[in-house]
Amino acid sequence: MVDEVMVYALSTCPWCRKTKQWLQDSKIEFEYVDVDQLPEEEQDAVADKAYELSGGRRFPVVVINGEVIVGYSPDKFLEHLKGWGGGA
Amino acid sequence: MSTEARKESLRYLFDRVVTPLGYKFTPDEELADFLLEQEVKLERDLGAPYCPCQGRSGVRAEDMRICCPCIPFHREHFDAMKRCWCGLFVHLDVTDPDSLPQFPPDEV
Repeated sequence: MVDEVMVYALSTCPWCRKTKQWLQDSKIEFEYVDVDQLPEEEQDAVADKAYELSGGRRFPVVVINGEVIVGYSPDKFLEHLKGWGGGA
Repeated sequence: MSTEARKESLRYLFDRVVTPLGYKFTPDEELADFLLEQEVKLERDLGAPYCPCQGRSGVRAEDMRICCPCIPFHREHFDAMKRCWCGLFVHLDVTDPDSLPQFPPDEV
């Protein structure tokens, strides 16, 4: 089963790094964007997308198969990863 | 001022602010050092030691609410986690910061 995982992160945020590391260690494919590392003209649009998804300005924002998880929370990640028994 | 010197200054200042609030620096020294370094960079680039794990709005009044230490603005949320959002500060009784959850305020 293929999970769709997207991580919105800040390069300054250790919990964003932990999130990416956890996904890598768990052999889960994912996409990510470090919002603060984007060219200035792209930052606002991507940040706004993350804020809209999460309802706030906190990072990391992790989208797993359409479900939004705010913060570093492996237990919640697992709940929504189909390949790990979670998801619909 | 060098990055190391500014980190020490922030540590001195923050310690006096957060202790009366019932918080202390995380016992995870590596994490504290990394976060302080990010705050020094943010202060240099943007003018204030903003939370390294939160995005800014560009509206000063809003952004001041995530200027470290931002505990007074998020007291209920942080007290529920026993840590601030970035984890630089934890409740005074915390000895194992890795055991503390991170969840958004709507889950309090």
